[in-house]
Amino acid sequence: MTTTTDDQHSSLQWSPLLSSPFSSLYAKRLLRLVEKVTNGTVIEISLTGTAILVKPGIISGGPVTHDCPLSRSIGYFLEPIIMLAPFSKKPFSLTLRGITTDDKDLSVDLIRTVTLPHLEPFGISDGLELKIKKRGSPPLGGGEVLFLCPIVKKVKTLNFIEPGKIKRIRGIAHAVRVSPQFSNRMIEAARSVLNRYIPDIYLYSDVYKGEEGGKSPGYALSLVAETTTAALHCAEAVSRPGVAPEDISLEATRSLLSEIERGGCVDQKHQTLVLLMMALGSEDVGRCRMAEPTERTVQFLRDVRDTFGTSFKIVPADKLGESPHLLYSCYGTGYINTNRTLA
Amino acid sequence: MSDDKSSTQKHKVHRRKKAEKKSAFAPRSGRRAERQGRRAAERDQTRLHVPLVDRTPDDIPPPVIVAIVGPPGVGKSTLIKSLVRRYTKQTLNDTRGPVTVVSGKKRRLTFIECNNDLNSMIDIAKVADLVLLMIDGSFGFEMETFEFLNILQVHGFPKVIGILTHLDLIKKSATLRATKKSLKKRFWAEIYQGAKLFYLSGVLNGRYPDSEILNLSRFISVMKFRPLIFRNAHSYLLADRFEDLTPREQIRLSKGKCDRTVTVYGYLRGTNLREGTKVHIPGVGDLGINLITLLGDPCPFPTADSEKRRKLSEKKRLLVHAPMSDVGGVMYDKDAVWVNVPGSFTRGNPDVPQGEGEQMVMDLQGVNETLEHAVTRSQIRLLDSSSKSLSIGPHPSPSRHVLSRARGDGEGQRDNEEDEQEEDPGSASDGDFDDDELSYSEDESAELDITGRSTLRAGHHSADKLTPTREHEGAGIQYAESDSDLGDDGGGGARMHFDSDGGNDIDLQSDTDGRDEEVPKWKSNLLNQASASFKLVRQNKRKDWTTLIYSSSLSPREVVRDEPGTARNEDHKENDQVDDFFTLKATDADADTLDATKEMNPLALHLGKWEGEEALDSIRHLFITGVNDTSVAGSAGEHDGVADDNASDEDEKADSDYDEEFPKGADDSDPRAAILMTKKEALKRKFDEQYDDPESAKQDFYAEAKEAISAQQALNRAEFADVDATTRALVEGYRPGSYVRLELTSVPCEMSEHFDPTRPLVVGGLLPIEEQFGFVQVRIKRHRWHTRTLKTNDPLILSLGWRRFQTVPIYSLDDHSIRMRMLKYTPEHMHCYANFYGPVSAPNTGFCAFNSLEDGAAAFRIAATGVVLDIDRSVNIVKKLKLTGVPYKIFKNTTFVKDMFSSALEVAKFEGANLRTVSGIRGQVKKALPKPDGAFRATFEDKVLMSDLIFLRAWYTIQPRKFYNPVTSLLLSSGSHWTGMRLNGQVRREQGLSAPHQPDSAYKSIERPGRRFNALKVPRKLQAALPYASKPKLMKPQKKATYLQKRAVLLEPEEKKALVVMQQMHALRKDAIMRRREKKQEGAEIRKKRLEKDEHRKSEKKREERKDHMRVAGIKNKRKAEREEGISRKKRKNLHQVIA
Repeated sequence: MTTTTDDQHSSLQWSPLLSSPFSSLYAKRLLRLVEKVTNGTVIEISLTGTAILVKPGIISGGPVTHDCPLSRSIGYFLEPIIMLAPFSKKPFSLTLRGITTDDKDLSVDLIRTVTLPHLEPFGISDGLELKIKKRGSPPLGGGEVLFLCPIVKKVKTLNFIEPGKIKRIRGIAHAVRVSPQFSNRMIEAARSVLNRYIPDIYLYSDVYKGEEGGKSPGYALSLVAETTTAALHCAEAVSRPGVAPEDISLEATRSLLSEIERGGCVDQKHQTLVLLMMALGSEDVGRCRMAEPTERTVQFLRDVRDTFGTSFKIVPADKLGESPHLLYSCYGTGYINTNRTLA
Repeated sequence: MSDDKSSTQKHKVHRRKKAEKKSAFAPRSGRRAERQGRRAAERDQTRLHVPLVDRTPDDIPPPVIVAIVGPPGVGKSTLIKSLVRRYTKQTLNDTRGPVTVVSGKKRRLTFIECNNDLNSMIDIAKVADLVLLMIDGSFGFEMETFEFLNILQVHGFPKVIGILTHLDLIKKSATLRATKKSLKKRFWAEIYQGAKLFYLSGVLNGRYPDSEILNLSRFISVMKFRPLIFRNAHSYLLADRFEDLTPREQIRLSKGKCDRTVTVYGYLRGTNLREGTKVHIPGVGDLGINLITLLGDPCPFPTADSEKRRKLSEKKRLLVHAPMSDVGGVMYDKDAVWVNVPGSFTRGNPDVPQGEGEQMVMDLQGVNETLEHAVTRSQIRLLDSSSKSLSIGPHPSPSRHVLSRARGDGEGQRDNEEDEQEEDPGSASDGDFDDDELSYSEDESAELDITGRSTLRAGHHSADKLTPTREHEGAGIQYAESDSDLGDDGGGGARMHFDSDGGNDIDLQSDTDGRDEEVPKWKSNLLNQASASFKLVRQNKRKDWTTLIYSSSLSPREVVRDEPGTARNEDHKENDQVDDFFTLKATDADADTLDATKEMNPLALHLGKWEGEEALDSIRHLFITGVNDTSVAGSAGEHDGVADDNASDEDEKADSDYDEEFPKGADDSDPRAAILMTKKEALKRKFDEQYDDPESAKQDFYAEAKEAISAQQALNRAEFADVDATTRALVEGYRPGSYVRLELTSVPCEMSEHFDPTRPLVVGGLLPIEEQFGFVQVRIKRHRWHTRTLKTNDPLILSLGWRRFQTVPIYSLDDHSIRMRMLKYTPEHMHCYANFYGPVSAPNTGFCAFNSLEDGAAAFRIAATGVVLDIDRSVNIVKKLKLTGVPYKIFKNTTFVKDMFSSALEVAKFEGANLRTVSGIRGQVKKALPKPDGAFRATFEDKVLMSDLIFLRAWYTIQPRKFYNPVTSLLLSSGSHWTGMRLNGQVRREQGLSAPHQPDSAYKSIERPGRRFNALKVPRKLQAALPYASKPKLMKPQKKATYLQKRAVLLEPEEKKALVVMQQMHALRKDAIMRRREKKQEGAEIRKKRLEKDEHRKSEKKREERKDHMRVAGIKNKRKAEREEGISRKKRKNLHQVIA
């Protein structure tokens, strides 16, 4: 995952990898996708899958279609692409086919309702869209999404230190190739917990039928809580065999509560995205208040330091140490989208 | 009084007139007033520019670079000397390289003289903030001046002040006035209407008159600078010092050909310079920075303190920093100032008493080789009779020692010595500390032991003893033992230490320091110690994230869950040492967590706790429906209980509770009051906003943008204000305005061999994108003063970004927005596109192009200017390819065509392609035919003729050549010229070749045989069958005379008369016409004569002008020659003395 973000700057040498992620099919497919959306990129994986040669090209974007393997969901492929897309030559119009929701990566629902809004404070909003054309559950998938992303010259500097209070909760309960009643059952269970907090709760029941429903049965509940300062927290739970939809719903609801308790201005799953955009901002100080970094974030911060030469200052959000939040601040690298064509 | 008087007066008219007195420019009607107001508003708007962020810090800005540019002999050095004298009261003998002076409380100036070389002019144009453009008033503008102005224009156009000199050479005041006027007019046309132009009259005592210089300096001091976009995005410095650090031994061994390690010094400008940035030195190439060291400001601003200490003695009035010019023999080094006192032990100084000791010291300076070397060569015989001279075997140990020391860390010998010095006290103090610490604690001393060593040794401490300080070391980051050492380190700057958020660590350090110094006190003051240790525990619990993430080797999992992994890691390392060939680098589980966005295991989330009502209630305050901020304490109380109930995990919570308890007793009321105050203030502000006019609070776009910029800059300043310098450098880089020393490695040896301080040495930081190579598309326009058109695939030298390089462009034009079509030559008076291969630059970067950079070219050297549009890894430029064929069999709409392709395979490639005949009939390629090779079947919209040619119009993609050749002008000695790839024509001329001639391409007179059309013959049978109207009506010409032809006609007498009258009238008319024509001809003749006369006069004038020009050129040449002999200056001086 990290190598793709390094793509813009990595040098021309075989770099050994820790474990061998490129022996797996999905990682190779991801690199192929990166090759597709760029011009002049050369990616070679050694026979053993333990070393990789990257000659970075430029991000070209444009209309691209890609079939994702069934071992990982579309979220795995979309996440790095979202990081690259605003800096391409032409606006992205990427069609991905495969599994739309699984238990490892962000589902397309969360990407649409949470990940994309996270780009708005950076000035990437007009024409940013994810259309879910078909849903596809594991193991057979059959989903299809269309990702549209505008291009920007540079990203705005973030200064987001007021977490605010939760003002509304939204959710999508979807069910494909199972009884539509499942989604209603999930909604009811979620409401039983959430109703005590605020009245502004809308949980949509989203049932795809026929061709649009993909090839396998499945259902899931994704929840989003929005604060007064437009900070988003999200959680999700996906159907497992032998588990009642109520239990899935409670699992999603409770992990949302955990997420809310953790607090901060940025959801834990989106720390890396926000931190990357902060590092790419203009040469000013950007600040963001977040919960503690996850393991991914720690690795990501190290990678950012290695590629962009920027390190973050991470201090407790308030001097007295009352809140568990941390304040991440960095001096942007002043990255300008040089791929963009002038006139 | 006057009122009284007027009231007594009867003439009311007079009073009314007074009231109506008009001011000169006041509007006389409402409409006019409105129009004037609108005009003023519009003018105000034109004055506004897009607000740009100025990255130059306000507190300590870098010196303003004032470049003095002009043709040789115009008085540049004299001007620098005069200006330096004005600011520092010191006279420089020769000014080489940049000269920095303090010009005011908040401004420093760096003067730099630009020599007449085009390379220097380009480099100077890229860094100068203000250009003093010197023009010889007695001679006028020269080509170089215009060239320089055009270079300035494409690289951002800094401020320009014109300076006219040599005005004393013009004797007649009328001529002087006229000259000034004409030069000013030209100058204004070039810069802008009203650009400042100074006049400097003659030279007094080798300087310009003080009053005029004072005037000029005032103008310089009030000058405001708008940030230039390119410089605002790059960090750069103008080197004012250059040192070669390569060990002498290494140079000697490689005969001076080894790559060098050099240091350059200068003030940083532009944006922050980050570690790891690559730099480009124009004229040398891309280089990596080995080390950035922050140095003390050699030319600091006056402070209140320094002003107090200032002596009245004028020599010490203000500083001048000009290391290359050798001001008063002062040299600045990394951390020392060298005073070169000439006349003591310098060689070749006859004033020194030549005693034995002095002689020896001077002789030693002349020794070029080591003693060992000399001994190996010497032939000493022990006894007169011995046949063999003494020889010395290879003596490896000392020389190797020297070598290893020299190569040790790539620094110079001096640095090595420093290192040793640094090490020595370190090891000594180690011992000391051990003694001291014995009473303190066992592990502490061990830890300090580690500190004393170099970074290479990894810390091997166990996990349970982790304190923040120790984590620092584990990361291989050096910490000095004491504060004083830390200070030294800062000076040396070789080591960075990262210490995150000041508070915690500073506390800790001072803590331990205190203990170091006064052990008994610590013992006595147990209570304080206890509370301190309590604090320490607390701080321990709160992780120091910055350190953990950036300067520890812990894996992400260990960082986040700060427990068991460390021990495992420890084992790991030991394993590494034992057997580092086969090691399992990381577990798969680790990689998987990093790979998945969501937590894989829902059980790990501790979701069970949300089953209880209390847990659910505990987060009510996070919703808008929950309790307010003021009662957070209350809810936290509940929180407390919850934490106790399920004390499963939350260490942090317990912490925060501690925190709350701690300050509660001391200042419970204060925060409440403060909160109330802030609330009140917010309410008041809200009320004010609503009560006052809401419109007034609104600002226009310009003011808003400016406010946003200044707010962001205030935040920038505040965020890192309390962080120490080295950490700050790590996070945000080195700020502009600081004086730094850059150590550059693997620099070509020619750079230091041919180093010439008169050529500017610019170190430009590169953005990551600029290190890459690719195809660049630019919009280009040939300069209208350049005499030749530019040709595709001819090499062109570009000055783009920091770089100067030669490349091979392909020119193209957009063809109906469908394709980019190649052009052979650049169009006249029009922009076109060009694509070339080279280092990429961000779009919107300006550039200028040259055919050659050599001096002495007669014509204007700037060939073209333009701007970067696009960068890519491939290009799509096409040129037209027309394939022709001939029909060999024609059916109705189908035709068989041959001679277009040579094989069926080629035809297959072009199936479906559009065809066209010369006569305009359109068609399509269908399928290859088996028989003549390459023949195919084609269909057309009409029947083609056998005589028709058939075209296939295709587009052939061409790629620019991958040619990039940097102009390495600084690697050449001062006199020589850089030569790159030559133009085609140049090569041919030099080799005496003519352009290749293809007989097919030659233009010949076209011979077209006249086309014979056969007469239309309608068969008689058919004719007979036709209706009359369609029958061809063929009649034979009449052969017999007609009736009228046979008879004579006689006129009647009246008819005769009428005829005569008619004839007379015709005769008269003819005559009149004749006469008129004659008259006209006369007039034409006169006109012709007049024109001839005019022509003659004009040519005379032209000849005169030519003569004048040649005379001036002659004067210039003569002056040049004189200058070379060094006569002219003296002469002029004498002249002025006579005048004075």
